[in-house]
Amino acid sequence: MSLKILTVDDSKTIRMIVKKAFKTFDCEMIEGENGVEGLAAAASEKPDLIILDITMPVMNGIEMLGKLKEDSTLKDIPVIMLTAESGKDNVLQIVKMGAKDYIVKPFKGEQLIERAEKLVKLEAKKEEKSVEDVSKKYFTLDGDFQILVLPEKITRPIIVEIEGSIKYKIESMAKSGMDKFILDLKKVNEINVLLIKLIILVLQNCRKGKIRIRLSGTPGISAGLKEFQETSEIPIDHTIEDAKAAF
Amino acid sequence: MDRLNDLDLKTFIVNTMIEVFDTMLSMDVEPTDVVPKSSLEGLRIVGAVSFVGKVTGRISIQLSQEFARVITAAMLGMELEEIEGDKEVNDVIGEVTNMVGGNLKSRLCDAGLNCVLSIPSTTSGSDFKIESKGWTRHERFAFKSRNHIAFVEVFMKTGS
Repeated sequence: MSLKILTVDDSKTIRMIVKKAFKTFDCEMIEGENGVEGLAAAASEKPDLIILDITMPVMNGIEMLGKLKEDSTLKDIPVIMLTAESGKDNVLQIVKMGAKDYIVKPFKGEQLIERAEKLVKLEAKKEEKSVEDVSKKYFTLDGDFQILVLPEKITRPIIVEIEGSIKYKIESMAKSGMDKFILDLKKVNEINVLLIKLIILVLQNCRKGKIRIRLSGTPGISAGLKEFQETSEIPIDHTIEDAKAAF
Repeated sequence: MDRLNDLDLKTFIVNTMIEVFDTMLSMDVEPTDVVPKSSLEGLRIVGAVSFVGKVTGRISIQLSQEFARVITAAMLGMELEEIEGDKEVNDVIGEVTNMVGGNLKSRLCDAGLNCVLSIPSTTSGSDFKIESKGWTRHERFAFKSRNHIAFVEVFMKTGS
Protein backbone atom coordinates (compact mmCIF):
# COMPACT_ATOMS: atom_id res chain seq x y z
CA MET A 1 0.00 0.00 0.00
CA SER A 2 1.25 3.49 -0.91
CA LEU A 3 2.56 5.71 1.83
CA LYS A 4 0.72 8.97 2.29
CA ILE A 5 2.95 11.99 2.57
CA LEU A 6 1.55 15.41 3.41
CA THR A 7 3.55 18.45 2.37
CA VAL A 8 2.47 21.75 3.93
CA ASP A 9 4.06 24.88 2.50
CA ASP A 10 2.69 28.19 1.24
CA SER A 11 5.14 28.05 -1.65
CA LYS A 12 3.98 25.97 -4.60
CA THR A 13 7.63 25.82 -5.65
CA ILE A 14 8.65 24.02 -2.47
CA ARG A 15 5.66 21.68 -2.66
CA MET A 16 6.71 20.82 -6.22
CA ILE A 17 10.30 20.18 -5.14
CA VAL A 18 9.09 17.92 -2.31
CA LYS A 19 6.75 16.03 -4.64
CA LYS A 20 9.54 15.63 -7.18
CA ALA A 21 11.85 14.22 -4.50
CA PHE A 22 9.34 11.44 -3.76
CA LYS A 23 8.40 10.87 -7.41
CA THR A 24 10.21 7.57 -7.77
CA PHE A 25 8.70 6.13 -4.59
CA ASP A 26 5.34 4.51 -4.07
CA CYS A 27 3.80 7.49 -2.30
CA GLU A 28 0.57 9.37 -2.49
CA MET A 29 1.36 13.05 -2.09
CA ILE A 30 -1.12 15.33 -0.35
CA GLU A 31 -0.69 19.11 -0.17
CA GLY A 32 -1.68 21.96 2.10
CA GLU A 33 -0.91 25.67 1.68
CA ASN A 34 -0.94 26.59 5.37
CA GLY A 35 -1.37 25.13 8.84
CA VAL A 36 -5.17 25.14 8.69
CA GLU A 37 -5.24 23.20 5.43
CA GLY A 38 -2.45 20.96 6.71
CA LEU A 39 -4.35 20.07 9.90
CA ALA A 40 -7.53 19.34 7.95
CA ALA A 41 -5.61 17.11 5.52
CA ALA A 42 -3.82 15.35 8.39
CA ALA A 43 -7.14 14.64 10.12
CA SER A 44 -8.87 13.31 7.02
CA GLU A 45 -5.99 11.47 5.34
CA LYS A 46 -3.94 10.29 8.33
CA PRO A 47 -0.63 10.59 6.45
CA ASP A 48 2.41 8.46 7.30
CA LEU A 49 4.72 11.49 7.22
CA ILE A 50 4.31 15.27 7.25
CA ILE A 51 6.82 17.68 5.69
CA LEU A 52 6.01 21.00 7.32
CA ASP A 53 7.18 24.52 6.53
CA ILE A 54 7.42 27.02 9.37
CA THR A 55 6.76 30.48 7.96
CA MET A 56 3.29 30.40 6.41
CA PRO A 57 0.26 32.69 6.41
CA VAL A 58 -3.04 31.85 8.20
CA MET A 59 -1.42 29.30 10.54
CA ASN A 60 2.34 28.79 10.69
CA GLY A 61 4.12 25.47 11.01
CA ILE A 62 4.96 25.84 14.70
CA GLU A 63 1.28 26.33 15.56
CA MET A 64 0.24 23.43 13.35
CA LEU A 65 2.87 21.19 14.98
CA GLY A 66 1.51 22.17 18.41
CA LYS A 67 -2.04 21.29 17.38
CA LEU A 68 -0.92 17.96 15.91
CA LYS A 69 0.76 17.04 19.18
CA GLU A 70 -2.40 17.92 21.14
CA ASP A 71 -4.52 15.55 19.06
CA SER A 72 -4.31 11.95 20.25
CA THR A 73 -5.15 10.63 16.77
CA LEU A 74 -2.44 12.67 15.02
CA LYS A 75 0.32 13.11 17.56
CA ASP A 76 2.30 10.05 16.47
CA ILE A 77 2.59 11.05 12.81
CA PRO A 78 6.29 11.86 12.26
CA VAL A 79 6.95 15.44 11.20
CA ILE A 80 9.99 16.81 9.38
CA MET A 81 10.15 20.58 9.62
CA LEU A 82 11.41 22.48 6.61
CA THR A 83 12.72 25.86 7.59
CA ALA A 84 14.72 28.74 6.20
CA GLU A 85 15.70 29.59 9.78
CA SER A 86 18.60 27.65 11.24
CA GLY A 87 18.98 29.69 14.43
CA LYS A 88 19.66 27.76 17.65
CA ASP A 89 16.46 28.94 19.35
CA ASN A 90 14.39 27.99 16.37
CA VAL A 91 15.86 24.49 16.14
CA LEU A 92 15.53 23.93 19.90
CA GLN A 93 11.89 24.96 19.80
CA ILE A 94 11.15 22.58 16.91
CA VAL A 95 12.82 19.64 18.64
CA LYS A 96 11.17 20.44 21.97
CA MET A 97 7.76 20.46 20.34
CA GLY A 98 8.24 16.93 19.04
CA ALA A 99 9.28 17.28 15.41
CA LYS A 100 11.26 14.18 14.44
CA ASP A 101 13.71 16.06 12.26
CA TYR A 102 14.31 19.34 10.51
CA ILE A 103 15.88 20.45 7.26
CA VAL A 104 17.22 23.93 6.70
CA LYS A 105 16.54 25.54 3.33
CA PRO A 106 18.23 25.55 0.87
CA PHE A 107 18.01 21.78 0.56
CA LYS A 108 18.28 19.10 -2.08
CA GLY A 109 15.63 16.46 -2.71
CA GLU A 110 18.15 13.72 -1.84
CA GLN A 111 18.58 15.19 1.64
CA LEU A 112 14.84 15.06 2.21
CA ILE A 113 14.64 11.43 1.07
CA GLU A 114 17.58 10.51 3.32
CA ARG A 115 15.78 11.99 6.35
CA ALA A 116 12.39 10.54 5.39
CA GLU A 117 13.88 7.04 5.08
CA LYS A 118 14.85 7.19 8.74
CA LEU A 119 11.18 7.62 9.65
CA VAL A 120 9.18 5.64 7.08
CA LYS A 121 9.87 2.75 4.75
CA LEU A 122 9.99 4.11 1.21
CA GLU A 123 9.49 1.64 -1.59
CA ALA A 124 10.27 2.21 -5.26
CA LYS A 125 7.23 2.81 -7.43
CA LYS A 126 6.10 -0.19 -9.42
CA GLU A 127 6.56 1.09 -12.94
CA GLU A 128 4.28 -1.47 -14.56
CA LYS A 129 1.35 -0.45 -12.39
CA SER A 130 1.97 3.20 -13.17
CA VAL A 131 2.17 2.57 -16.92
CA GLU A 132 -1.03 0.54 -16.77
CA ASP A 133 -2.86 3.37 -14.95
CA VAL A 134 -1.74 5.95 -17.50
CA SER A 135 -2.76 3.64 -20.34
CA LYS A 136 -6.29 3.46 -19.01
CA LYS A 137 -6.39 7.23 -18.53
CA TYR A 138 -5.35 8.37 -22.01
CA PHE A 139 -5.17 5.41 -24.42
CA THR A 140 -8.07 3.55 -26.01
CA LEU A 141 -8.15 0.78 -28.55
CA ASP A 142 -10.67 1.08 -31.38
CA GLY A 143 -10.47 -1.93 -33.69
CA ASP A 144 -6.95 -1.89 -35.08
CA PHE A 145 -6.46 1.79 -34.23
CA GLN A 146 -4.58 2.87 -31.12
CA ILE A 147 -6.01 6.22 -30.01
CA LEU A 148 -4.35 8.65 -27.60
CA VAL A 149 -6.88 11.20 -26.36
CA LEU A 150 -5.30 14.33 -24.90
CA PRO A 151 -7.07 16.27 -22.14
CA GLU A 152 -8.18 19.94 -22.29
CA LYS A 153 -4.91 21.40 -21.10
CA ILE A 154 -1.45 19.86 -21.26
CA THR A 155 0.62 20.32 -18.14
CA ARG A 156 4.05 19.05 -17.16
CA PRO A 157 2.75 16.13 -15.06
CA ILE A 158 0.65 14.97 -18.04
CA ILE A 159 3.70 15.05 -20.32
CA VAL A 160 5.66 13.03 -17.76
CA GLU A 161 2.84 10.46 -17.50
CA ILE A 162 2.47 10.04 -21.26
CA GLU A 163 6.22 10.07 -21.86
CA GLY A 164 6.57 7.24 -19.35
CA SER A 165 4.00 5.05 -21.07
CA ILE A 166 4.14 5.78 -24.80
CA LYS A 167 7.28 3.74 -25.38
CA TYR A 168 5.62 0.63 -23.91
CA LYS A 169 2.45 1.32 -25.89
CA ILE A 170 4.34 1.60 -29.20
CA GLU A 171 6.32 -1.56 -28.40
CA SER A 172 3.17 -3.51 -27.63
CA MET A 173 1.56 -2.25 -30.89
CA ALA A 174 4.58 -3.45 -32.86
CA LYS A 175 4.46 -6.84 -31.13
CA SER A 176 0.78 -7.34 -31.98
CA GLY A 177 1.24 -6.19 -35.59
CA MET A 178 -0.67 -2.91 -35.21
CA ASP A 179 0.65 0.17 -37.01
CA LYS A 180 -2.12 2.80 -36.91
CA PHE A 181 -2.02 5.49 -34.23
CA ILE A 182 -4.40 8.44 -33.89
CA LEU A 183 -3.55 11.40 -31.67
CA ASP A 184 -6.94 12.83 -30.78
CA LEU A 185 -6.86 16.54 -29.91
CA LYS A 186 -10.57 17.30 -29.97
CA LYS A 187 -10.76 17.90 -26.19
CA VAL A 188 -7.77 20.26 -26.17
CA ASN A 189 -8.87 23.84 -25.56
CA GLU A 190 -5.53 25.48 -24.85
CA ILE A 191 -2.66 25.43 -27.30
CA ASN A 192 0.55 25.96 -25.35
CA VAL A 193 4.19 25.10 -25.74
CA LEU A 194 3.72 21.92 -23.71
CA LEU A 195 1.13 20.65 -26.17
CA ILE A 196 3.57 21.23 -29.04
CA LYS A 197 6.27 19.42 -27.08
CA LEU A 198 3.95 16.47 -26.46
CA ILE A 199 2.88 16.24 -30.11
CA ILE A 200 6.53 16.14 -31.19
CA LEU A 201 7.24 13.49 -28.55
CA VAL A 202 4.41 11.28 -29.81
CA LEU A 203 5.44 11.76 -33.46
CA GLN A 204 9.05 10.86 -32.68
CA ASN A 205 8.05 7.72 -30.80
CA CYS A 206 5.77 6.61 -33.63
CA ARG A 207 8.48 7.25 -36.20
CA LYS A 208 10.98 5.27 -34.13
CA GLY A 209 8.56 2.35 -33.77
CA LYS A 210 7.58 2.48 -37.47
CA ILE A 211 3.98 3.27 -36.53
CA ARG A 212 1.82 5.37 -38.84
CA ILE A 213 0.14 8.32 -37.16
CA ARG A 214 -2.66 10.80 -37.92
CA LEU A 215 -3.72 13.76 -35.83
CA SER A 216 -7.36 14.58 -35.31
CA GLY A 217 -8.73 17.89 -33.97
CA THR A 218 -11.13 20.74 -34.49
CA PRO A 219 -10.54 23.42 -37.14
CA GLY A 220 -9.58 25.76 -34.28
CA ILE A 221 -6.86 23.37 -33.11
CA SER A 222 -5.72 22.92 -36.67
CA ALA A 223 -5.37 26.68 -37.14
CA GLY A 224 -3.64 27.06 -33.76
CA LEU A 225 -1.03 24.40 -34.55
CA LYS A 226 -0.19 26.14 -37.81
CA GLU A 227 1.07 29.08 -35.75
CA PHE A 228 3.94 26.96 -34.41
CA GLN A 229 6.86 26.20 -36.67
CA GLU A 230 7.17 22.63 -35.34
CA THR A 231 3.56 21.71 -36.14
CA SER A 232 2.73 24.05 -39.02
CA GLU A 233 3.14 21.36 -41.66
CA ILE A 234 1.31 18.53 -39.89
CA PRO A 235 -2.04 17.65 -41.49
CA ILE A 236 -4.97 17.54 -39.06
CA ASP A 237 -8.12 15.53 -39.75
CA HIS A 238 -11.22 17.08 -38.29
CA THR A 239 -12.83 13.85 -37.05
CA ILE A 240 -11.63 10.47 -35.89
CA GLU A 241 -13.46 8.90 -38.84
CA ASP A 242 -11.55 11.16 -41.26
CA ALA A 243 -8.30 10.15 -39.58
CA LYS A 244 -9.15 6.45 -39.86
CA ALA A 245 -10.07 6.87 -43.52
CA ALA A 246 -6.82 8.71 -44.22
CA PHE A 247 -4.60 5.73 -43.36
CA MET B 1 23.67 49.39 17.83
CA ASP B 2 27.29 48.22 17.96
CA ARG B 3 26.21 44.65 17.48
CA LEU B 4 24.49 45.65 14.24
CA ASN B 5 27.52 47.49 12.97
CA ASP B 6 29.82 44.63 13.96
CA LEU B 7 28.00 42.10 11.78
CA ASP B 8 30.00 41.04 8.73
CA LEU B 9 27.00 41.31 6.46
CA LYS B 10 28.93 41.10 3.21
CA THR B 11 30.55 37.71 3.92
CA PHE B 12 27.31 36.35 5.24
CA ILE B 13 25.14 37.49 2.31
CA VAL B 14 27.73 36.33 -0.24
CA ASN B 15 28.00 32.87 1.32
CA THR B 16 24.23 32.51 1.60
CA MET B 17 23.63 33.56 -2.01
CA ILE B 18 26.27 31.11 -3.25
CA GLU B 19 24.73 28.30 -1.19
CA VAL B 20 21.14 29.02 -2.30
CA PHE B 21 22.11 29.28 -5.98
CA ASP B 22 24.24 26.15 -5.85
CA THR B 23 21.83 23.96 -3.86
CA MET B 24 18.48 25.00 -5.26
CA LEU B 25 19.35 26.16 -8.76
CA SER B 26 22.64 24.40 -9.61
CA MET B 27 23.88 27.81 -10.75
CA ASP B 28 27.06 29.71 -9.98
CA VAL B 29 26.81 33.22 -8.61
CA GLU B 30 29.55 35.61 -7.58
CA PRO B 31 29.74 39.08 -6.08
CA THR B 32 30.59 41.81 -8.55
CA ASP B 33 31.50 45.50 -8.49
CA VAL B 34 30.88 45.95 -12.18
CA VAL B 35 27.21 46.80 -12.50
CA PRO B 36 25.88 47.97 -15.87
CA LYS B 37 23.41 50.86 -15.60
CA SER B 38 20.86 48.80 -17.51
CA SER B 39 20.64 46.38 -14.54
CA LEU B 40 18.21 48.71 -12.82
CA GLU B 41 16.18 49.50 -15.92
CA GLY B 42 13.37 47.67 -17.65
CA LEU B 43 11.01 45.11 -16.20
CA ARG B 44 12.24 44.05 -12.78
CA ILE B 45 11.05 42.01 -9.84
CA VAL B 46 11.81 42.53 -6.16
CA GLY B 47 11.38 39.82 -3.55
CA ALA B 48 11.40 41.03 0.05
CA VAL B 49 11.06 39.75 3.60
CA SER B 50 10.92 41.86 6.75
CA PHE B 51 12.07 41.05 10.27
CA VAL B 52 10.86 42.63 13.49
CA GLY B 53 12.12 42.33 17.06
CA LYS B 54 15.32 43.44 18.77
CA VAL B 55 16.38 44.27 15.26
CA THR B 56 13.98 45.52 12.62
CA GLY B 57 14.64 45.59 8.92
CA ARG B 58 14.11 44.26 5.47
CA ILE B 59 16.09 42.27 2.96
CA SER B 60 15.24 42.41 -0.71
CA ILE B 61 16.51 40.80 -3.87
CA GLN B 62 16.05 42.79 -7.06
CA LEU B 63 16.63 41.35 -10.51
CA SER B 64 15.44 41.62 -14.08
CA GLN B 65 12.34 39.72 -15.14
CA GLU B 66 14.55 37.82 -17.57
CA PHE B 67 16.90 36.67 -14.81
CA ALA B 68 13.90 35.82 -12.62
CA ARG B 69 12.63 33.51 -15.36
CA VAL B 70 16.06 31.85 -15.67
CA ILE B 71 16.02 31.23 -11.91
CA THR B 72 12.44 29.93 -12.02
CA ALA B 73 13.26 27.45 -14.77
CA ALA B 74 16.34 26.28 -12.87
CA MET B 75 14.47 25.87 -9.58
CA LEU B 76 11.58 23.96 -11.15
CA GLY B 77 13.75 21.90 -13.50
CA MET B 78 12.07 23.09 -16.68
CA GLU B 79 12.73 25.00 -19.90
CA LEU B 80 12.17 28.76 -20.01
CA GLU B 81 9.24 28.40 -22.40
CA GLU B 82 7.55 25.98 -20.03
CA ILE B 83 7.06 28.66 -17.37
CA GLU B 84 3.33 29.15 -17.22
CA GLY B 85 3.19 32.71 -15.89
CA ASP B 86 4.13 35.39 -13.38
CA LYS B 87 2.66 33.38 -10.51
CA GLU B 88 5.38 30.75 -10.82
CA VAL B 89 8.11 33.40 -11.16
CA ASN B 90 6.83 35.35 -8.13
CA ASP B 91 6.65 32.20 -6.03
CA VAL B 92 10.21 31.17 -6.87
CA ILE B 93 11.67 34.65 -6.27
CA GLY B 94 9.71 34.86 -3.00
CA GLU B 95 11.12 31.52 -1.92
CA VAL B 96 14.72 32.45 -2.83
CA THR B 97 14.29 35.68 -0.83
CA ASN B 98 12.82 33.69 2.05
CA MET B 99 15.87 31.42 2.11
CA VAL B 100 18.36 34.30 2.09
CA GLY B 101 16.25 36.28 4.59
CA GLY B 102 15.69 33.25 6.82
CA ASN B 103 19.41 32.64 7.04
CA LEU B 104 20.06 36.30 7.88
CA LYS B 105 17.35 36.18 10.53
CA SER B 106 18.98 33.09 12.08
CA ARG B 107 22.33 34.83 12.10
CA LEU B 108 20.78 37.86 13.85
CA CYS B 109 19.06 35.64 16.44
CA ASP B 110 22.31 33.78 17.12
CA ALA B 111 23.95 37.18 17.73
CA GLY B 112 21.31 37.91 20.39
CA LEU B 113 19.22 40.10 18.11
CA ASN B 114 16.03 38.06 18.28
CA CYS B 115 13.43 38.81 15.65
CA VAL B 116 10.62 37.21 13.69
CA LEU B 117 10.40 36.93 9.93
CA SER B 118 7.52 37.90 7.65
CA ILE B 119 6.33 35.81 4.74
CA PRO B 120 7.92 36.95 1.46
CA SER B 121 6.32 39.45 -0.88
CA THR B 122 7.16 40.31 -4.47
CA THR B 123 6.76 43.49 -6.50
CA SER B 124 7.35 43.86 -10.20
CA GLY B 125 7.37 46.75 -12.62
CA SER B 126 9.63 48.88 -14.74
CA ASP B 127 9.36 52.37 -13.32
CA PHE B 128 10.27 52.34 -9.65
CA LYS B 129 13.20 52.72 -7.30
CA ILE B 130 13.63 51.61 -3.72
CA GLU B 131 14.33 54.32 -1.15
CA SER B 132 14.19 54.04 2.60
CA LYS B 133 15.43 56.27 5.42
CA GLY B 134 16.25 56.09 9.09
CA TRP B 135 18.20 52.86 9.19
CA THR B 136 21.32 52.14 11.20
CA ARG B 137 22.69 50.02 8.38
CA HIS B 138 21.84 50.03 4.73
CA GLU B 139 23.95 47.93 2.41
CA ARG B 140 23.61 46.81 -1.16
CA PHE B 141 25.50 43.95 -2.76
CA ALA B 142 25.57 43.07 -6.44
CA PHE B 143 25.87 39.54 -7.78
CA LYS B 144 26.54 38.21 -11.24
CA SER B 145 25.39 34.92 -12.71
CA ARG B 146 25.36 33.96 -16.40
CA ASN B 147 25.64 37.66 -17.40
CA HIS B 148 22.66 38.59 -15.26
CA ILE B 149 22.83 40.90 -12.25
CA ALA B 150 20.94 40.60 -8.95
CA PHE B 151 21.04 43.07 -6.08
CA VAL B 152 20.62 42.12 -2.46
CA GLU B 153 19.72 45.09 -0.26
CA VAL B 154 19.58 45.04 3.53
CA PHE B 155 18.10 47.74 5.78
CA MET B 156 18.43 47.32 9.55
CA LYS B 157 18.01 49.22 12.80
CA THR B 158 17.66 48.18 16.41
CA GLY B 159 14.03 47.57 17.34
CA SER B 160 11.98 49.14 20.08
